[in-house]
Amino acid sequence: MNRRHLKTGIVLGSLVTLALASAATGQSTIKIWTSDVVADRQRLMKLNGASWADAQAKLKAGNAEAVAVNAETMALIATQIVGLFPEGSLTDKSKAKPEIWQKWPEFEAAVKNYAMQADKLRDAARSKDLAATEAVAKEFGRQACGSCHTPFRVPPPQQQAPAPPQQLQPR
Amino acid sequence: MEFQRARAGIVLGSLVALVVAGCATGQKSMGPADAVAERQRLMKNVGANWADIQNKVKGGNPEGVAVNAEAIGLHAQRIPGLFPEGSLTDKSKAKPDIWQKWPEFQAAAKNLENRAGTLRDQAVAKDAAAVTTTVATFGRDACGACHTPFRVPPPQQPAAPRT
Repeated sequence: MNRRHLKTGIVLGSLVTLALASAATGQSTIKIWTSDVVADRQRLMKLNGASWADAQAKLKAGNAEAVAVNAETMALIATQIVGLFPEGSLTDKSKAKPEIWQKWPEFEAAVKNYAMQADKLRDAARSKDLAATEAVAKEFGRQACGSCHTPFRVPPPQQQAPAPPQQLQPR
Repeated sequence: MEFQRARAGIVLGSLVALVVAGCATGQKSMGPADAVAERQRLMKNVGANWADIQNKVKGGNPEGVAVNAEAIGLHAQRIPGLFPEGSLTDKSKAKPDIWQKWPEFQAAAKNLENRAGTLRDQAVAKDAAAVTTTVATFGRDACGACHTPFRVPPPQQPAAPRT
């Protein structure tokens, strides 16, 4: 009888406290993403790619300063990446490698490196120094994108083996 | 005696549950100063993307705004989460009305997300006329719909002329 009371008390206390705790933190766990985490992160990474393409186009036009907005967008996106790779989120639509979860600290470090490179590009662009911005941009694809994509992403097929031109002709 | 045991159980269970809850949400806890700094950084990038959109439209490149509109739309999703209750420091320009009218604030953030999505789709469809039309009203309908009720106006902005 005594033990039963103790057990009931533990259960009761836990439930009430958990309910209070989740109510108190309710606002900080506002749902941002959809239930499809693979689609969410692919949308995020597409914006990353598009921001990088926009930055490159601006650099080609000699407009270093305008690259800052794209670099800062990428730096902000970088803060969301790790959270969008929960363990086991590997579907047939995903190009993620299982290495992400086998070498999680390295994956986290690669994302952190990406954020730092984006900061570097942003700061160079804000200084309006075209040569400095171009110097960071020149290494960006390999150092920022590649250092994570090479170990942790299956390469997209169209980049590996470009189709022979004759296959593109209509029959 | 039985009562005492039950009480001990309640205390014990509560403590364990608190620790568990604390661990589970530990990564997401954000102090008021952090929340203010993070949302100001986010909103500055929203503003910079908006400026880029205007430059591209002026420069005859309305199709190029898709990337900026998508950035604004994705940032908009994060806005409510960056306004935890009580995150009102002296550096913040947020009005307390945000938390008094929370559902309206959430709707205003969603409105920004939706309008940014519209603009993105028009740019992706290379519909220059539609992009130009949306851009013409975006400042009032997307930014202003939230800034007017929920943000203290920055002093450098001149007051709108009375008509």
